[in-house]
Amino acid sequence: MYWPAFALFACVVLLLLAGFPVAFTLGGTALLFALGGALAGVFDISFLGTMPNRLFGIMSNETLVAVPLFVFMGVTLERAQIAEDLLDSLSRMFGGLPGGLGIAVIVVGMLLAASTGIVGATVITMGLLALPTMMKRGYDPAVATGVISASGTLGQIIPPSIVLVLLGDVLSSAYQEAQLAQGVFAPRTVSVGDLFMGALLPGLMLVALYAAWMLVLAVFRPASVPARLTPGEEAPPASGESGTPPTPAEWFAGKVLRPAASLGRLLAALAPPLVLIAAVLGSIILGLATPTEAAGVGAVGAMLLAALRRKLSLARIREVARSTARVSSMVFLILIGASVFSLVFRGYGGDEVVREFLMSLPGGVFGAVVLVMLVMFLLGFVLDFIEITFVVVPIVGPVLLSMGLDPVWLGVMIAINLQTSFLTPPFGFALFYLRGVAPPEVPTTAIYRGVAPFIAIQLLALALLALWPEIATWLPGALYGG
Amino acid sequence: MNRALKAAGAVERVIVRTGEAVAWLTFFMALVTCLVAMLRYGLALGWIWLQETITWMHAAVFLLAAGYTLARDEHVRVDIFYREMSPKRQAVVNLSGCALFLLPLSVGLLLGSLEYVQTSWLIQESSREAGGLIYPFPSLLKTLLPVTGGIMSLQAMVICVRSVAELLKPTDPGASPDLPPEQPPGGGL
Repeated sequence: MYWPAFALFACVVLLLLAGFPVAFTLGGTALLFALGGALAGVFDISFLGTMPNRLFGIMSNETLVAVPLFVFMGVTLERAQIAEDLLDSLSRMFGGLPGGLGIAVIVVGMLLAASTGIVGATVITMGLLALPTMMKRGYDPAVATGVISASGTLGQIIPPSIVLVLLGDVLSSAYQEAQLAQGVFAPRTVSVGDLFMGALLPGLMLVALYAAWMLVLAVFRPASVPARLTPGEEAPPASGESGTPPTPAEWFAGKVLRPAASLGRLLAALAPPLVLIAAVLGSIILGLATPTEAAGVGAVGAMLLAALRRKLSLARIREVARSTARVSSMVFLILIGASVFSLVFRGYGGDEVVREFLMSLPGGVFGAVVLVMLVMFLLGFVLDFIEITFVVVPIVGPVLLSMGLDPVWLGVMIAINLQTSFLTPPFGFALFYLRGVAPPEVPTTAIYRGVAPFIAIQLLALALLALWPEIATWLPGALYGG
Repeated sequence: MNRALKAAGAVERVIVRTGEAVAWLTFFMALVTCLVAMLRYGLALGWIWLQETITWMHAAVFLLAAGYTLARDEHVRVDIFYREMSPKRQAVVNLSGCALFLLPLSVGLLLGSLEYVQTSWLIQESSREAGGLIYPFPSLLKTLLPVTGGIMSLQAMVICVRSVAELLKPTDPGASPDLPPEQPPGGGL
């Protein structure tokens, strides 16, 4: 009896739209299906008896401890307002170039991604600070909102990122399962650290692609990304006539000719987050610390950094701790709800059907990957990354991995796909956050139009990664010799 | 109804205080993790039990703060339609969600984990790792499961009472009794 598994999946997706919290809708629907099935005599209720033990497995999972620690680090940095300083000094640096403000936003997005990693906070901060400036300069609202939303989501893909921690954990058990099913009893493993390393180059590639898009706009549609028209706090570049935007060459000459003044401020803004990023990522890359340890060191480092900036007090730590506790609880209750769901889905034999279906697809592995990516992309329109990671990946992961795919490559592909779900209307978190802080004269349709090219860039990145898997697999292989 | 609302408020205050208190553990988790890393790499010292306390503080946080997070309405919702609904419609969603999903789950967790926890106390369970935390800590940790079930059942009833009150209210845009969320829904990830 397979159909109840798929009825369950369809019911969950529909019921989620009612708006009751995801964690309980997932678990509750599954529980009702289990009870109904038991009454009808088609479901073995003793399946649910393993639940306490599974929950204890979640409670004692050491890998996932990295999640609250990274959240703690991110929230501390957010409250210390490093984003504001970064944005301020980088837009001074790039502001004179056509498309420069957009590039400044992308670079800030990248730096925040590697330090705070919190999409909501990044998008809100940049929406409040950068968007008004860009509008004043005459940026096309669609371009401005698009680049802010997209840069904000870099936190999902550039390590350390929560998505990668969750995916790393789910994929490592999927990888074990796939190998055991093939009779490999000394299975190779994949860790969160491997995934961090695998995602680093693809993340930077996305940054480069975003920036390239800004330059394309600067060349072909300069009116949509104008340079500074009126002199700001600084003198206009020496060679630029007043009123005409400087060419990139003139702008660069102006920068090189008088570098000293803003350089100090730039360094002061850049150095603290860069040191922290280097310490956290560096210790993981060099294999000195596990991601969890690095997260703990990063959280303490973030507090020290906040203290240096006189932004640390007992009241603030209390706020950070409470906020961390709520986010952590939110994430882990979804994990619990999703594990009830998977248990019931498996109880009805749903995973068997998915396996047979994926195996029977024309086009073999390629067809299966394309289909899974497509389904995740579509689910991303309504669900967000936590649900997809905990519900879909455990079902499809073992099948795809048993077809011989590299777990790091698959993880990075999924991560980019999930990152895209933050941008897809109508239910993209980044769009919501930006809508919340964007001035009313920016229509919501402009935001939707603005993210379209960036969604296309995401798909391009997926294609590039499919063509050259080495973009993801080279770095972990080179570092760990795997 | 007023009396029920008052009782609900009192119950929720206890749940929120509990959550706010365990939230401090995230701070200590950061400190202890940092300490463990430094001891290991600096002095080549390490204790399994110290490492286990981190994992267990983490479990205590996400379980015991679950009711608090619910009270602050920060369990993420797919809110495409929900946020456009009238307060009464939202009350219908919350009431039926609690009755159909949350209460069965929490009561199920409470009752379903009792035997599991009882066994742990009876056999005086210690950590499976040598040098890990000894009895009674593992049993205490497991006891968090039914406790969480209890807290969530109570908070679900609080929400039910609030939703019924909202539905009984004559239609006028009164002040919502719910605490405002401290940040946008979705938890800011």
